[in-house]
Amino acid sequence: MKSRLAACVILLALAAGLFCTLNFAASAHKNLPVDESGAYVLPAPLLKIASLEYSGLVSDLLFLRATVFYGGTMERVERPRVKDWEWHWMINLLDAASELDPYFYDLYYFANANISPAPGMLPAVNSMLEKGSRYRDWDWILPFYLGFNYYYQLQDNDKAVNFLMEGAKRPGAPTLLSTLAARLAYRGKRTENAILFLQEILRKTDDEDTQKVYKDRLGALIGIYQLEKAVALYRERFGALPLSLNDLLSQGIIQALPVDPYGGRFYLETDGSVKTTSNLVYAKDLNPEAEAK
Amino acid sequence: MNALWAIAMITFKEGIRNRAIFGILLLALLLAAANFFVSGMIMQEIGKVAVDIGLSSISFSGLMLVLFVGINLMAKDLDRRTIYMVLSRPISRYQYIYGKFFGMTLLVLASTALVSLFSLGAVALIKVGAQDFFPRFSWPSVFLAIVFITLMLILLTALTFLFASFTSTSFVTLILTVVSYLIGQSTSGVRTLVEAPNVVGIKVSAFTVKLVQGAYYLFPNLSLFDIKTQAAHGLPVGADYILWTFLYWLLYTTLAITFAALIFRRREFP
Repeated sequence: MKSRLAACVILLALAAGLFCTLNFAASAHKNLPVDESGAYVLPAPLLKIASLEYSGLVSDLLFLRATVFYGGTMERVERPRVKDWEWHWMINLLDAASELDPYFYDLYYFANANISPAPGMLPAVNSMLEKGSRYRDWDWILPFYLGFNYYYQLQDNDKAVNFLMEGAKRPGAPTLLSTLAARLAYRGKRTENAILFLQEILRKTDDEDTQKVYKDRLGALIGIYQLEKAVALYRERFGALPLSLNDLLSQGIIQALPVDPYGGRFYLETDGSVKTTSNLVYAKDLNPEAEAK
Repeated sequence: MNALWAIAMITFKEGIRNRAIFGILLLALLLAAANFFVSGMIMQEIGKVAVDIGLSSISFSGLMLVLFVGINLMAKDLDRRTIYMVLSRPISRYQYIYGKFFGMTLLVLASTALVSLFSLGAVALIKVGAQDFFPRFSWPSVFLAIVFITLMLILLTALTFLFASFTSTSFVTLILTVVSYLIGQSTSGVRTLVEAPNVVGIKVSAFTVKLVQGAYYLFPNLSLFDIKTQAAHGLPVGADYILWTFLYWLLYTTLAITFAALIFRRREFP
């Protein structure tokens, strides 16, 4: 009886010790220094060979690795929330996954929603989207994403029109694509066109986190659009540009300034265009130095 | 013919009785359960990921069966010296090898069918819950992929017989089979790589290129049997591809098992 009791106590002590050591080891592991060399992803041809007959599965796992990592950064307090090399690492993971299974839609969906707004990441995301669009030749949404990126972010109308025309030819494409392509051929109405793009993208987005990304972008653009219309009205009425957005308020053209969902403040450029201090990037994603500028 | 059939049935029953097979079925069941968990983390193409995991678990558990049950069945007669009892009966060594091979093929078919039931059951359940996220799903593509996986497993079984016919212990057979599997799965990728090494910026000597090209024809090109990506996205697989791959499989398997029988016929037992 006594020996049985002793055995129980020892076992309990060991189990408690196991629990503690696991926690200590795991938190120490978290604090291990990680730097850019950790961002290395094997070149795609080697990865393809190493994944044997499971390339589809490895592609899924690489995708999960990127999304889980990205989700983990949401809780960070440091600024910028995601470091430069981490963005590169994520896009490398997604790009490698898209070499293993170039038909996997989630890779492009995630990259376009979450990585393309990051500073300097747009070209990499676009080249991934172009690859996806080549393989998924039945899908109009990837050329549509590309159309938006080239039109609004890179201001390359010709390329945007090409992608939209390409998307419009694919099965199930909304008539909006050909309409937009036609409208983009004329310059101007930039904000209004971008709103049309985003409303369509939002309609094809069903998970809440990604919806929020696009909703914020849409909200900011609608704010800019309202102000642009008000500036035009002011100009019509008084024959000159307002000196600042407050003039619109004091003349009663608008009741209140719209709120920028990115946390920035709308302002008027000297040429009469409306901008926001956030530049459509979340304040928490910005470098502190860049913010100071 | 009767003797051949009798050996096939005995091998099949022996395989079913092997405890390892329960472990493999448990593995398949766990992987099917994992499918629910992983697909739940996917935003859009849930169907693709569910099919990926389903098909991968079928081929992986089949691989375990061939490596751990199949090789064991073949080697047991030699290790435990029961082969003397069999060969003292009016059975030729050819009949013995072919009978064993057909028994093992039956076992592969039966277990693939059972594991597929679990895996596809999981996929079907996930599909019920997320109908909209299975845009290009097609059952025929998935079944074709399972047929190809089964062919690959049977080819691998024939290879284990070839190796077992001249090695002295089952462990060496296991090692040789694993190596052949690894080479077989990667041979076409490695060949593409060494023939155009600039893609990843490496240098390859002419000798290596010749070596890889030799291995390409010697070892079975198992990546031909991997159409999981096509199945996952419901992409078309051409009839010519199916035909040529099937013929390649038939020839390779027949050659391997015939060589095995030839070597086995001349083998002296201690």
